[in-house]
Amino acid sequence: MLLDYLVWLEETPFSTWMRESGPAFFSSLVFHSVAMGFVVGVHVATNLRILGVAPRVPLTLMRRFFSVLWVSLVVVSVSGVLLLAAYPAKGLTNPVFYFKLVAVLAALGITRALLRGCLRDPRYDDAPAPKRARWLAAVSLLLWAVAVTAGRFLAYTHNMMMASHQY
Amino acid sequence: MDTLLAFGQRSGIYDFMHSAWGWPTVESLHFTGLCLLIGTVGVFDLRMLGVARGIPMHALHKLVPWGVGGYLLNVTTGVMFVVSAPDQYLFNPAFQVKLSLMAIAGLNVLFFYRFVFGPVRAAGANAVPASARTAAAVSLTCWVGVIVCGRLITYYRPPYHWCFWC
Repeated sequence: MLLDYLVWLEETPFSTWMRESGPAFFSSLVFHSVAMGFVVGVHVATNLRILGVAPRVPLTLMRRFFSVLWVSLVVVSVSGVLLLAAYPAKGLTNPVFYFKLVAVLAALGITRALLRGCLRDPRYDDAPAPKRARWLAAVSLLLWAVAVTAGRFLAYTHNMMMASHQY
Repeated sequence: MDTLLAFGQRSGIYDFMHSAWGWPTVESLHFTGLCLLIGTVGVFDLRMLGVARGIPMHALHKLVPWGVGGYLLNVTTGVMFVVSAPDQYLFNPAFQVKLSLMAIAGLNVLFFYRFVFGPVRAAGANAVPASARTAAAVSLTCWVGVIVCGRLITYYRPPYHWCFWC
């Protein structure tokens, strides 16, 4: 049932083109990697700041880097969908893919909580961030490391490359 | 090339990398190091280029040691890749360009700390001198280029005669 759907997906002209044109697949990989650097990078900077590295940086001003984060997040998502379009069965039949997705969504959930909390509160511009925010920042860093690792393992843990090869 | 391979095999790195989860584990560390570098050095470059105005440069610079840590992690893991499959890297135009960009970024670091960091520190939260913006643009371009080339290493499976120095 799911396999039939995946076969249909990978036989669409767009999916075939993503696999076979060469530049389409590799430029998606390149955009996915560079944008990952900036998505995780802005989180690294912000979370390190919350954890007390660079304490003289006014915490609320870290939000000014988030425009870079949002643009990169769009690029990561679009390139991710394109990579998935090339080999839908490869990702969608692999539990590691869902694990990565959950890690990313959980990390973004923490970002949302921090954006509503200490990142908006001028009291913490020159005072240590509250303990709860520090915990969230540490967990966020861990989740990003997990997501990056899971993403890399996607290339090694798939059960199948293409659903149509299963018949 | 034989020297690199011999080192890889003698040190046990080769065997580890070709074990079941060796290669993907080290790749994950390499990508994590990349994020540390972009998250600190890249963010500092963005600040000098005018993003997040109001943040004092010297205060943000305190993040950079974490980027140096990421860089060292990536040099270590990078060497582990190369000594485990030297033919896949040395002849590879993407790898050759990647190393060249790293060299330019390295010279840029020397230039930055010798000539630019003083005025940048003095600028506080104000606009930085043009030389600092140039150094930041070179740095950011090089590191993004390094990621692009790193990704393209698996795209090129080059014939041996493409190596310029072997």
